[in-house]
Amino acid sequence: MKARPALSIQISGASNMGVSEGLSSSLPAISTPLEDTYRKLPGTQQISAKRELMGRPLVRATYSSSNSGVVGHIFSSSSGFSSDLHYSSSSPHEKHSRNAPFISQAPTNGAASPLLQSSNRMMPQSMMSSQYYKENSGSWCTDPGFPDFPISTPVQSCQVESTNCSGIMTSEDLCKSNEWQEWAEQLITDDDALASDWNELLVVDNVMDMEPKVAKPCTSTTLSEQKPQVHQRPPSLSVASRSVVNSSSSANNAPAKPRMRWTPELHEAFVEAVNQLGGSERATPKGVLKIMKVEGLTIYHVKSHLQKYRTARYRPESSEGSLERKSTSTEDLSSLDLKAGMGITEALRLQMEVQKRLHEQLEIQRNLQLRIEEQGRYLQMMFEKQKSGLDKLKASPSSSENPQELPAKGEPEASQTNHVNSGTDTANVKSTLERSSEEMGGEQEAPKTTETGVSKSSSPPSKRPRIE
Amino acid sequence: MKFGKWLKQQIEETLPAWRDKFLSYKELKKLVRLISSAESPEYGKVDAEAEFVYLLNNEIDKFNAFFMEQEEDFIIRHRELQQGIERVIDTWGPNGTKPSQAEYNDEMAKVRKDIVDFHGEMVLLVNYSNVNYTGLGKILKKYDKWTGRLLRLPFIQKVLEQPFFVTDLVSKLVKECENTIDEVFPVEVEEEIVKVQREAIKVAGKGVFRNTVTALLSMQEIRRGSSTYGHFSLPPLDLPDSDLIHSFQLNSPIPTV
Repeated sequence: MKARPALSIQISGASNMGVSEGLSSSLPAISTPLEDTYRKLPGTQQISAKRELMGRPLVRATYSSSNSGVVGHIFSSSSGFSSDLHYSSSSPHEKHSRNAPFISQAPTNGAASPLLQSSNRMMPQSMMSSQYYKENSGSWCTDPGFPDFPISTPVQSCQVESTNCSGIMTSEDLCKSNEWQEWAEQLITDDDALASDWNELLVVDNVMDMEPKVAKPCTSTTLSEQKPQVHQRPPSLSVASRSVVNSSSSANNAPAKPRMRWTPELHEAFVEAVNQLGGSERATPKGVLKIMKVEGLTIYHVKSHLQKYRTARYRPESSEGSLERKSTSTEDLSSLDLKAGMGITEALRLQMEVQKRLHEQLEIQRNLQLRIEEQGRYLQMMFEKQKSGLDKLKASPSSSENPQELPAKGEPEASQTNHVNSGTDTANVKSTLERSSEEMGGEQEAPKTTETGVSKSSSPPSKRPRIE
Repeated sequence: MKFGKWLKQQIEETLPAWRDKFLSYKELKKLVRLISSAESPEYGKVDAEAEFVYLLNNEIDKFNAFFMEQEEDFIIRHRELQQGIERVIDTWGPNGTKPSQAEYNDEMAKVRKDIVDFHGEMVLLVNYSNVNYTGLGKILKKYDKWTGRLLRLPFIQKVLEQPFFVTDLVSKLVKECENTIDEVFPVEVEEEIVKVQREAIKVAGKGVFRNTVTALLSMQEIRRGSSTYGHFSLPPLDLPDSDLIHSFQLNSPIPTV
């Protein structure tokens, strides 16, 4: 059901040839893996998906529109995909069951990847994209931790393993045709340099794992917004590139404008490149991209960054005579002036103090939040360990060490204790949260057993040491 | 105070321009109520949850996009500011090409103001991140409570890794700003500071300063003890100069300039 490699082949085929013949030649090649992958999907989806894949590119006459069609295709699927990833977390079972077929198909898909790689080489663009792809397909096929994916990976699938669900594309495609148009237009209006980068983009976004769709309603809801896939370069690449590529966009932007997380170092390299090219006005995105030579950086990123850079520079430069600053901050200035008897400097200092204070508090708060969740996770783990231990012991009374002391006003992750005696589950884990709970000042309540549908029995921390 | 109300207040008073970028807490809450009350078999728990998760993810995408965009802007501006300072020092400073005390002071004043405002904006972004995180936590908690599911814990784990929550870079820039400020501001005498503070800044007015004051006080407010205090709740905020900061909230008299 993972048609990812197939999709990519198609895309690269389209962009390479720019003509349907390329597509048709590559399509038969992929039809078999497609068949395999689609086997698992519901019948109608399957067939229509295939038809979509094959039908659309061939229909397009022009290079750009065919690309955009396919691209839109991908992006729509990727948008559906990101939701899939999210869904996966809520239904681990389904996920796992589908993971197995995925992994077992990995070898077959692995066979498909050489195809991809060869087609990548054909691409006008650089090593970047093919390298992406190779790396990704490599790690994709061999990832041992895959079954853990739903739980452990971040929502934004900042990993290679993120995949796209081909099944989603079908229904989404229909609705995405408008956006493809927009996208096509946008792409056409961009400079030629961009055209060759489509492949990059496509490959970048294609490198995702395939997540099976969880539920039907999801399909309909994913239609409303497009959220391009989020992905991250594999470790080796990201180390090299010093940047993490995350993609997300608001519903207004063109589909799949991969979002890059800039760092000061990266920006420094950018500025150097720009200066080499003669300044922010004269530098072109393509040129900068070439000079920077950063893996994972696309021309889109550079373009938008350059734009921001130009804006930021223009304002201060034009306001050397302090025009700009005055106009934008009249309110502030007037408010400062009113700080009677206080020089501006003092007022600023004061402002600074408040801001510092706020920042301090925010940091503290954030650290606390992290620790809380860490503890919660740990608790959960302990709880599960305990539970499995208890299941083995069955009717052993020894585990109910401190039945009275279980503060039950806790998170419902403890509701798994449905099966277990409510008084027993957190006995072993209370001590772990002792410290944090003291700091939290959490309330203690009598253990609640089952409430309506929710068992809030006791996993929260207790202030008392476990062994008294 | 109810979180929904608090959130609204936060937004309106600190960053109304960013209104859309914040968590749609109210809508999500409505959805949760809907889900919990209408547990019809056709719509099934799994579907409802999937929909909820989908919406939450959209929110997260929104946060991430906005946050990273702002962050990028900050990175650029930070560098420009640093360069600006150097330029001022090199041009009008004592060892510069056109040394001029008056000009230097003028330009420096502007630069200082810029830096302080910049600092404030960054802090407000961190605040944005935090507020949204809190909101997510709360809505998830509500969800778990109303539907009896276990969505909160695993989901929040993922949220923790989201770009918008990982505010390290912005915090670093903030600290760098603070250092720069220390270098750029003239050395202050202790008594003067106290006197200045005593003079009760009646003005908050608009602008970054007011926003940060509000944000800080709001934070204190939200972290006051609540009825649903649990071990996943944050302790009350310990804000030493609370009174002073409260005094900043008084609105400015209408300028007669």
